[in-house]
Amino acid sequence: MNDAAIMVSDVSAAYGAKKALDAVSLCVPRGSHFALLGPNGAGKTTLINILCTLRKADAGSASVAGVDVAKRPTEARRSIGVVFQDSSLDDRLSAWENLEFHGLVYGMAKKSRRQMIETVLNLVELENWTHEIVRSFSGGMRRRLEIARALLHEPKILFLDEPTVGLDAQTRQRIWHYLDRLRRERDLTVLTTTHYIEEVEGADAVCIIDGGKIIAEGTPEALKKQYGQRWLHVVPQNGEALAAIRDRFPQAQLIGTNTLAFPENGEVKTDVIIDQFRDRLAEVRFLPPTLESVFLSLTGRELRDRADGQRDADRAAGRRGGRR
Amino acid sequence: MTAIMLLRGVYAVWLREITRATRDRAQLIGGVSRPLIWLLILGVGLNPYFRGEVYGEVRFVIPFTYLQFLFPAVIVLNIMYTSIQFAVSVIWDREFGFLREVLVSPMPRRLILLGKVLGGSTIATLHGSLVLILARFADVTLSIPQMLTALGLMFVLAFGLTSFGVILAARVRSFEGFGVFSNTIILPLYFTSSSVFPLDPSLTRTQMVTAYPEWLVFLMQINPITYAVDALRGVIIGFNQFPPAYGLMVIFGMAVVFFVVALIDFGRS
Repeated sequence: MNDAAIMVSDVSAAYGAKKALDAVSLCVPRGSHFALLGPNGAGKTTLINILCTLRKADAGSASVAGVDVAKRPTEARRSIGVVFQDSSLDDRLSAWENLEFHGLVYGMAKKSRRQMIETVLNLVELENWTHEIVRSFSGGMRRRLEIARALLHEPKILFLDEPTVGLDAQTRQRIWHYLDRLRRERDLTVLTTTHYIEEVEGADAVCIIDGGKIIAEGTPEALKKQYGQRWLHVVPQNGEALAAIRDRFPQAQLIGTNTLAFPENGEVKTDVIIDQFRDRLAEVRFLPPTLESVFLSLTGRELRDRADGQRDADRAAGRRGGRR
Repeated sequence: MTAIMLLRGVYAVWLREITRATRDRAQLIGGVSRPLIWLLILGVGLNPYFRGEVYGEVRFVIPFTYLQFLFPAVIVLNIMYTSIQFAVSVIWDREFGFLREVLVSPMPRRLILLGKVLGGSTIATLHGSLVLILARFADVTLSIPQMLTALGLMFVLAFGLTSFGVILAARVRSFEGFGVFSNTIILPLYFTSSSVFPLDPSLTRTQMVTAYPEWLVFLMQINPITYAVDALRGVIIGFNQFPPAYGLMVIFGMAVVFFVVALIDFGRS
């Protein structure tokens, strides 16, 4: 398996009594874009931490670029670049100083350091902010600088933990475009974790993870074909109607407070529902298979509240603001 | 990683500490104001009352003034403050995530720590040498070799105390906690280090205990800072209360022991 950039076999990890990862195995081919999709708390960040040697697995083994992360961590670190979920920049240094620090710590020679710093700053369009102190940067700018920094030493594998929280669509596209080019030209492998469905549509392979377990894996198309089904969403007119429908069709999944979802898989005759309750429904709609619906049919839940990530980021910023 | 690559890493960590320190004005103000207060106010104020007499009886002739006596201790005080405050930088790295940036880098952890401690000791030594600017004022004259020896000792002392700061940082969870912590450590250590008053060398042990309560003498004798101050006094004003070798042993011993403990702590995190 020389072509595997990341190999994970039977990795388990726990925080006290709470299992964060439960015998997870996966294989990411070189040069691919692999996405770990799952709600907050699914174990994505724990897996990333194990792969970038910040945490040891309680059981199982993992390797990056053919190097076992537990046995030869220093060597493994050389081939990876990491963008963490929360900022790990030094906000009292300038953008340039942060990058220079990174280059030095990765042992880069002066010439290649200077050259790469310029390249990555241009990539994330921070070239006019080179000598500004990071403290004055907005959340999006910090994020961009962090991505630039992770690419500075030309890693073979790039880990992006919830990378695009707080980035505008244009920057996001630009960064993905550049990463795609690096994948083609240099065989860069990209592993992202996210709970944003939009992020993973372009991935080569998606791994859906929930409660520390992998529940499905495949290309977005294959997943949609296999698990995706058209869904019927109905909004009953009132609570009474909602209860009546649930009584009659116990397999209905409640979404939010007032929407019921039914998979169109032959088990439930969707036209029967509509026929029987026609007068008591406020809204009826069919949803085509999406990764979102794949997740829903696999776990019986929606990927939690989309705004979570942003709210967490705000809260973290508030906490920092109070302390500084 | 080749040696030159590793050296670059240590340099980067060191440079970051220096850069951050030069941008931290509060710390610099502390470094400048502390010696001014201690020497200009306390030193000048008590200078006329410093005589070799106990209970009105002159026991020995003191060959130096109070300002001269106090001068090396204030250097140590400045180093202590900056070194132990260095723990804040370590806690900062941990709390705000920067630590992860270095932990996922291919730099061995012990070199990261070495760079950090070297950075902290450089800043502390610089703060210590801010006191040296006041040398003329305290009527202390230093030859170049004396100056260099003093700077060397100051650096080794700063290295040990900075490592001590790192050890503290590993045991303190919050910034708020650290503020109290540092004041309950630095000042007591300073006052019980024979920094502001001498243990009278002409007295026998029994006589000394009558001049000072036994517990105070005991605290001074077990306080390693006593010997650090004593070593610097030896170099700067040529006065030692203890055999000169003690000071050297304590300063170098602290540097080695505290750094090793810090290494063990850091490797565990």
